[in-house]
Amino acid sequence: MSAEKTKKTVPYTVPIGPVHPALKEPVMFTFGMEGEIVRTVDFAPGQTHRGIEWMGMRRNPVQIVHLTDRVCGICGIVHSISFARAVEQIVGIEVPERADYIRTILHELERIQSHLLWAGVAAHELGFDSLFYLAWRVREESMDLIENLTGNRVNYGIIQVGGVRRDISDEQRPLIEKGLAYYEGLLDQMATLFLEDSTIRMRCRDHGFLSEDDARKLCTVGPSARASGLNMDVRQDYPYCAYGDLDVKAILPPAETGGPRGDVYDRIIVRLLEIGQSVGIIRQCLDAMPAGEILWEPKMAKLLAACKKADGEAIGRVEAPRGECMHYVRMAGKEAPESWKIKASTYSNLMSWIPMLQGEQLADIPIIVASIDPCLSCTDRVTVVRDGKPDILTKEDLTRLSREKTRRLMQ
Amino acid sequence: MARLPMVPELLKQLFSRPATNAFPSRHLPPSVTGFLAKVASGEATIHPPVPTPPKFRGKIVYDREACIGCTLCLKVCPAHAIEFIPETKRIRIYITQCIFCSQCNDICPKDALHMSPDFLLATENRYAESQIVE
Amino acid sequence: MTPDIPFIIIGAVLVALFGIVIGLFLMGFDRIVAARMQARIGPPITQPFTDIRKLFAKENVVPENAIPWMFNLAPVLALASAIVILLYLPIGGFTPILSEGGDLILVMYLLTVPALALVAGGFASGSPYATVGAQREMVTMIAYEFPLAIVIIAIAWKLAAAGIALPFTLASIQANPIWGLVGPLGTIGLLILLVVLLIVTPAELSRIPFDTPEAETELAGGILVEYSGKNLALFSLTQGVKTVAMASLVVALFFPYSLAAFIGLAGISGAVIDILFFIALITLVAFVSVSVVRVSMARFRINQVVSVYWVYLAIAGLTGLLLVMADQIIGVI
Repeated sequence: MSAEKTKKTVPYTVPIGPVHPALKEPVMFTFGMEGEIVRTVDFAPGQTHRGIEWMGMRRNPVQIVHLTDRVCGICGIVHSISFARAVEQIVGIEVPERADYIRTILHELERIQSHLLWAGVAAHELGFDSLFYLAWRVREESMDLIENLTGNRVNYGIIQVGGVRRDISDEQRPLIEKGLAYYEGLLDQMATLFLEDSTIRMRCRDHGFLSEDDARKLCTVGPSARASGLNMDVRQDYPYCAYGDLDVKAILPPAETGGPRGDVYDRIIVRLLEIGQSVGIIRQCLDAMPAGEILWEPKMAKLLAACKKADGEAIGRVEAPRGECMHYVRMAGKEAPESWKIKASTYSNLMSWIPMLQGEQLADIPIIVASIDPCLSCTDRVTVVRDGKPDILTKEDLTRLSREKTRRLMQ
Repeated sequence: MARLPMVPELLKQLFSRPATNAFPSRHLPPSVTGFLAKVASGEATIHPPVPTPPKFRGKIVYDREACIGCTLCLKVCPAHAIEFIPETKRIRIYITQCIFCSQCNDICPKDALHMSPDFLLATENRYAESQIVE
Repeated sequence: MTPDIPFIIIGAVLVALFGIVIGLFLMGFDRIVAARMQARIGPPITQPFTDIRKLFAKENVVPENAIPWMFNLAPVLALASAIVILLYLPIGGFTPILSEGGDLILVMYLLTVPALALVAGGFASGSPYATVGAQREMVTMIAYEFPLAIVIIAIAWKLAAAGIALPFTLASIQANPIWGLVGPLGTIGLLILLVVLLIVTPAELSRIPFDTPEAETELAGGILVEYSGKNLALFSLTQGVKTVAMASLVVALFFPYSLAAFIGLAGISGAVIDILFFIALITLVAFVSVSVVRVSMARFRINQVVSVYWVYLAIAGLTGLLLVMADQIIGVI
């Protein structure tokens, strides 16, 4: 809805963004308010476009893998695996089994830290800072573990096209075991602190509602979709890495807690349960991990030569902590890919904000916006500037542009 | 009845040690280098930094003697942080641009590049001596 | 007795200084205790003093849409009225400086003045966040007035029923500690009233969970969003003085004890002991009703604030009042 039209139908508008304490990343909201009630919702992403795909199309796959780590500050490995899997399919690389298991372990460790980060942010949005500090403090354990395994806390740099760059040594196994035991011991406490607290329940139960039908129609993914009752998880539906060998089931809010209702509270439940699920998956991986190589080709020069020869296109899909993440890569006999397209999970979740926010109170905006765990810097793939001013592309413009682009790629 | 499960945890935390990693010095010293010199001579104490794990990827170390100037590292550096100097047939690395991926370490045929555990690299001048390795 | 004008002026200045210094101390104490409860180190206790000093050195920005005279007047009004409250409250066992001029009812009304000044300042800022914040502050004010009134009336009624003259004056409350006048049933009633008053305190001071007018995450500071420099410093000082005033009110109503009299000290040393004891008491009250409450729960929505005060606390307060009354009736029989 355009700004003028909004003004006519509601008493006043409240802008939130592009930079606002309710938002951890830039996005521009315009709310049409009636008293404290949100009547209309409009938002404009594209405030933090970084041109990362443009950079990638001027680099070779070995360089891009490290760029993908920086697509997202939280779920870096998701993008690396997704991109590596796309290139592996094009080049025809078979990833060694051990590497697949190591990828899975790190993928799940990342999910633990990402969900704990989200839990902290959610608590902060509710004005519950003590819980925020507690969640981020216990998150440190997984960050330290990741740092030990990969060499860095945030930009792991462990994925390589064709495998992983570092093995998990026998000395590191007890550290992982210790970390897993720590989180197992913590799960009950986290569940009590988040789910049994009356003030959190008052703020989250039956707010930010997204029906199963809306979730399906708006292509919601990840924990947000599962909280609305959609049984979907890429790890279960299209297993990749080692997930095919493991027992992974999509987690829906259990019936004991009032079963999928699709509110903010259910999204908290799903994410907390997924922390426990990740711990279980890592356990399974450690038990089943075979010995062997970790790279398809340890000599980078040979790997680059193989990539240069490759011709074709592929999609790499993974289940990021926020939902399905997808990388489309097209190689055409050059060092750099001809096309590289990232679809971060938040991209699919943005539209579900609109049904969630309508009819809610102004006070609930921060927690509802945060409840899909938005990751906007990863999502923003385009910023429209015409004559030095920001502009808006309509649905027709987008359809025309994507058709033109597909034709260009088909040539 | 309202339940506040956080309260016992908070009262417990009130009487336990804070989890914060203390800043190296209690207050911002007038001169950081002066403070570090005092620490070295034993006049001042410093909160020890959090130890880095083995194989941590910090500031890059370059073995100029071992390098043969093959420029393979330039090919894989994602950040274009490495420059080749044709006159000396050696490389120069700009730390402000480096993204600490250690990909150049992997590809170096002579094992001339390594990652050190140094991570306190912030400075105001991106061309300062500490920010260029050659 | 005609009030001695020079005495009042000197006393008022002293009380203002006391309120500001102790208010900032309480803010620092609250920050450090809250930090420790959250497993953080927290700032040094002098941090609020440093902040205020810095704010006074900063530029005072008046937004384009603001009504300048009201925008600039509001902080002064807020601080002045907060200090005036202190002049009516007994501090450290001393008779209030303006004790002849007013009683508890006046204090109750004065407590709303800083909040009204905030509202005026919020509306004068011309920002949508401040406007929403000001509306919420008014609603919060209306919400907590009722339980606050119940507590005050319950205590005054008890004093009147016990045959004490002028039950609404703080001097009589000070002279007759309320706990000594009631039986077991009344003690339970008074405990409930104490809890009600302790829960009214965070709303009066705009702290979590009742900080909806400021609500950092959605309103970015709400009422105070446009304030900077000197004006913000004055509002911070008001916050400190209000903390002292509210805690003093709790102490005056429920703990009007004197340590010096108990251990038999008199003169200067007795006065010092009493002041220190009083500071310890208000620190304790601030710890319980501000620090512990604000770290242990999430922020309420504005409709929840109203229902908490009008339904739950009103019921609790009335129960307390009825228990005190029942106690009186049983006592008479």
